[in-house]
Amino acid sequence: MPAGKTIWEKLIWTWKPASEYEAGDSIVRNLLLHWFPSKVTFQSLSFRYSFWLGTASAILFAILTVTGVVLMFLYVPSVERAYASVKDIEYAVAYGWFLRGLHRIGAHVMVAVVFFHMIRVFLTGGYKNGVAANQNRPINWIIGVVLLLSTLLLSFTGYLLPWDQLAYWAITVGTNIALAAPLVGEQTRFLLLGGNEIAQGALIRFYVLHCFFLPTLVLLLFAWHMWRIRKDGGLACVDQIALHQKEEKAPPIKSKTYSLLGIAGTRTVHVETALVDEDRFATNSSPSLTLRLLVVILATMVIASLLTIGIEAPLEEPANPAVTSNPAKAPWYFLWLQELVADTTVRIGGFTVNGALVGGIIVPGILAGLLLVWPYLDRSSARSVGVWFASERWRQNIVFLIIIVAILILTIVGTFMRGPYWELYWPWETWVALPRPF
Amino acid sequence: MKTTPPPNASPQPQNPGGAKRQTRRTFLDRLGLGALLAGIGGQATLMLRALVPNVLYEPPRRFKIGQPDQFPQGVTFLENQRLFIFREQGTFHAISAVCTHLGCTVKIIQLNPPRQVEIRGQTMEERNEFHCPCHGSKYYGEGTPYEGPAPVPLAWYLLEIAPEDGQIVVNLMEPVGQDFRLMV
Repeated sequence: MPAGKTIWEKLIWTWKPASEYEAGDSIVRNLLLHWFPSKVTFQSLSFRYSFWLGTASAILFAILTVTGVVLMFLYVPSVERAYASVKDIEYAVAYGWFLRGLHRIGAHVMVAVVFFHMIRVFLTGGYKNGVAANQNRPINWIIGVVLLLSTLLLSFTGYLLPWDQLAYWAITVGTNIALAAPLVGEQTRFLLLGGNEIAQGALIRFYVLHCFFLPTLVLLLFAWHMWRIRKDGGLACVDQIALHQKEEKAPPIKSKTYSLLGIAGTRTVHVETALVDEDRFATNSSPSLTLRLLVVILATMVIASLLTIGIEAPLEEPANPAVTSNPAKAPWYFLWLQELVADTTVRIGGFTVNGALVGGIIVPGILAGLLLVWPYLDRSSARSVGVWFASERWRQNIVFLIIIVAILILTIVGTFMRGPYWELYWPWETWVALPRPF
Repeated sequence: MKTTPPPNASPQPQNPGGAKRQTRRTFLDRLGLGALLAGIGGQATLMLRALVPNVLYEPPRRFKIGQPDQFPQGVTFLENQRLFIFREQGTFHAISAVCTHLGCTVKIIQLNPPRQVEIRGQTMEERNEFHCPCHGSKYYGEGTPYEGPAPVPLAWYLLEIAPEDGQIVVNLMEPVGQDFRLMV
């Protein structure tokens, strides 16, 4: 950093480097930037390749952490007081409605963004190793799948906390799905609830899972996810540049020379540097990457805040074990599962398999298992790494999209076409009027 | 007196078989590592065990619900116990309101006029049915599912008369068949 800067310039020069030298230096000198490479390819920065979905989900996680910590000061995890404290947050605490709304909307948007991030990575073959050494993208895909599942678990444990009707019946259904698991079902449910009944023990367990264990898990996996991206040589699209260069048979330039200074003055080690760092493919991370990052942060915050102001966060009636709301619906991202458990009870002769086992455990288990092993089954070549809809992968992309569309259709049916007693209604049909108990 | 080798001396390859010789150093290494792992494992075990409750403060599974003549003819829903109590003249039976699919509370649908249905080859007259709001299971008046995902009938529970005060006692630990009736 050259001398003669004002204090303000000293604070921000790493984000606004004035020279090529400062641009390289800024990545090393700023703690917040040190995990970025000093050069980044134009392809990786392109919105149309990644849609910046992973970045957006990380920003949403940060928003959720900050709002969540403030909410922890205001929420009381007890069955007697949880509902009243959430009601206070909503109606009595200054800007409490906004905090709770942002936390809730942030979670909804994060589920969607993480889901679309997975779809993006699959359709671009981003989980595949390319041509660089020591890549292990399949591991990073697996970390990503676990992050997706953790996001869903965080949402599930989160909407239980207000202890309203939604919360109570979600725990009932969720823990009864666990109960349907063969052999370990009963013990799992007992451990989750801290007893046989849905009461204080269950609330405090889900609270600690939601506020400590799952966020910590996500944070650790996030760090590993980012580290692996660097070790794998960046986003998968970078491998295409390297591949083209290999095919052009460009002679490698020996651009970096490491001397063993002071030990053996004459011996030098030449290293083939990545050609993708050339100026025609890449640019300085600061400011090209950092500026875009700030724009995505701003955009995510603005969208989440506007959604918060526009969409009211509902609070249902207090939890009532005697009365299940009618219809009792999970949040939209679980409605495909609710639809599945409702449709998959199998009857063969006198033998019945509960839909809780088929739709709640076996089908989601198979889907998650397929996701985890898919990188090892995909035998397409390095030409399909980091390319949208690679022709070599058209069959698997179509199967994948069919599954995604099926999940979306089930979600839409569950959201818009299920009325009282889970009967099918067209969206324009009115539901039958039901007597309300109170 | 025994002489000790200098600290950096490499162990002499004395066994021609090639297996790694156990020296004092490797033994102590393993002992230390083992102690560390055992310590961590032990601590983890007792922390996890602390999360399995030894005492449960849960409502009893066998309880009194009142004198038989307090119950009107027909059906009474006991909210806190999630139980339907049926009375026909002097006979009583109890059907659980917990759906056998995923545990939601079923709602009772009164049928007026009563309907003739065929259950397992027998024609019966039913005055009510049970419908579940969560996933759409439907049960006949005696608890047998006929639509939706419910795999088995709603549970019937044992009713008794308490000898000391004549109240009806429900025993949730004792499921009974659909022919069970308590005569009072």
